[in-house]
Amino acid sequence: MSKLLSKPFKAFSIYALIILAASIPVYYWVVDHIWKSELDEHNLIIKERIEKNATNERFDIQQIEAVLDIWNALEPGARLYPVPATAVRPDSIYTIYRKRDFGSDKQIDRFRGLSSFLTVHGKTYHLEIETNIEETEEIILAIAIVTTFFFLMLVVGFIILNRNISQRIWSPFRKTLEKLQAFDLTANQELHLGSSEIEEFSALNSAIDKLIENNISVFNEQRRFLENASHELQTPLAILKSKIDLLLQTKDITQDQSQLLNDIEIPMARVSRISKNLLLLAKIENKQFQDTTQISIADIVNESLDLLIEYLEDKKLILTENITPGVKVSANKFLLETLINNLLINAIRHTPANGQITINLFNNSLEIKNTGTAPLDAEKLFKRFAISSKDSINSGLGLAIVKEITLRYQWKIIYSFKDEMHRFSVEF
Amino acid sequence: MKILIIEDEQALAQDIVAYLSEQNYICEIAGTYQEAAEKIGIYTYDCILLDLMLPGGNGMDLLSLLKQENIETGIIIISAKNATEDIVQGLRIGADDYLAKPFHHSELSARIHSVIRRKQFNNSNVIQQNEIKIDLLGKTVTVNNQEITLTPKEFNLLLFFIGNKNKVLSKGAIAEHLSGDLADMFDNYDFIYAHVKNLKKKLQEAGSNNYLKTVYGTGYKWEI
Repeated sequence: MSKLLSKPFKAFSIYALIILAASIPVYYWVVDHIWKSELDEHNLIIKERIEKNATNERFDIQQIEAVLDIWNALEPGARLYPVPATAVRPDSIYTIYRKRDFGSDKQIDRFRGLSSFLTVHGKTYHLEIETNIEETEEIILAIAIVTTFFFLMLVVGFIILNRNISQRIWSPFRKTLEKLQAFDLTANQELHLGSSEIEEFSALNSAIDKLIENNISVFNEQRRFLENASHELQTPLAILKSKIDLLLQTKDITQDQSQLLNDIEIPMARVSRISKNLLLLAKIENKQFQDTTQISIADIVNESLDLLIEYLEDKKLILTENITPGVKVSANKFLLETLINNLLINAIRHTPANGQITINLFNNSLEIKNTGTAPLDAEKLFKRFAISSKDSINSGLGLAIVKEITLRYQWKIIYSFKDEMHRFSVEF
Repeated sequence: MKILIIEDEQALAQDIVAYLSEQNYICEIAGTYQEAAEKIGIYTYDCILLDLMLPGGNGMDLLSLLKQENIETGIIIISAKNATEDIVQGLRIGADDYLAKPFHHSELSARIHSVIRRKQFNNSNVIQQNEIKIDLLGKTVTVNNQEITLTPKEFNLLLFFIGNKNKVLSKGAIAEHLSGDLADMFDNYDFIYAHVKNLKKKLQEAGSNNYLKTVYGTGYKWEI
């Protein structure tokens, strides 16, 4: 992925490259043109001076004829030689390349020339004035070097500007992003992104604010629904349970009937547990159970074991405890009890008969291990109703509640499987 | 013994009446806040079962009303509201016990039994049933004046049976009484069998009659 600002940066650079490259021939043409017209003017001035001086009767023809050979040999810029009168043509300008026939390197020079005809004392002369002009390649090379230099300056400038602008302009965007990344819908937070001086960001913030507000309200609605729905279930369940109780008391009930009633009690208990657990989840999510005290974890574990000891004994499970006394946490007592109960019940339920359960309480972690055969899907484990259980009683919510409680107190719950043991560890 | 059942769910109230009447309680029902307030104003009861969610008012207000008038009545809150906040608030205002719906009638009956005892006998509490004598304070049981040693669970179980004389108690109800809410997490209540067997054995060895009867497939019954 590339950063947003590097996209226009690339485009700008390519555009600048194209324009600067295209400017090279244009510059050349302009420079060459100015140069040529300047040299033409220069040649013309020379021609006029020669013409004026040669024709103003100061020198007679013999004098001129006498020096002409010497002059032509010594004066590099101009040549004057007699031609027949018939050869006269109008003045012309031309560019010519000449190989240097002196000096060490025989390089080719470019010349701008003026060809003119003048009549001195009735005799026709051809005047050629040639002035050295910079070669095309040299001009182009010089322009290209300068242009490249400026192009590099532009690119460096773009990079620096880009960085500065992105830091300054995008800072409100980054703030918004940070807040959004830190936002957690389930944590009952409010999110106010505020407004920005930049119109687009302001619009973005208000759109996000609105979106999140809607989400929060839908989420809360759902929580309330969950709480109300599970609440509404309690009364019909209570009546159902009460009717079964009464039916059990009827005098002439047969054994078959009483067995049937007994069988109804078990799924009834399950529905009742699911509805209680849903209500509990909704309440934890709704931030109830706020009062916290310092609680000894060992005490809660012992109380819980006291209630569960029959189930342990019934399955002939071997319990090992390594409990550091005096470990305390600050939490709601009911929630801590629920957490520990759920973990213990979970261990007892899923350990095969004659299996082992180990409870380790260290300074900042509680570890509950139980015998198992294969690792569980750690992803799904703490999700609601995620484990499709063959058991008829499991409400599928026990571990979801555990997770919710650990989230509330920013504790960590970790599941792992090692040495044929499931291990649930809560880090306080 | 008079009991007022403040419960807007008619079916449930009727069932409670049906169960408790056989225990020789006289029951009355109030279905709304007003009705309940009137009855409380006119009559006195030994125990009041109070639902917190009532048409016409909040059960908590009734509780305050009862306590203002300093009525020496046992109050048990029965509500679907099983949040600890409500329990704490209810108990702080002056309720004696709290039972979350749905509950077993046997559990309710045992609670009523215990609340009335506590209120009326000023805690110097001894239950006598034929040859069996239970000292609630000392937590001791004697049969024909011979003390027998019961575990806390067996003692608890005995009280539960005596609070539900002649009723069939399902294993589920017994398990729930012994391990509270945790009971319905398990689908096997077989451990009860061991407790009941031990209790029965200890009572009989001390010369008690066999009151504890097994009801096939369902549970147990304290027959007297």
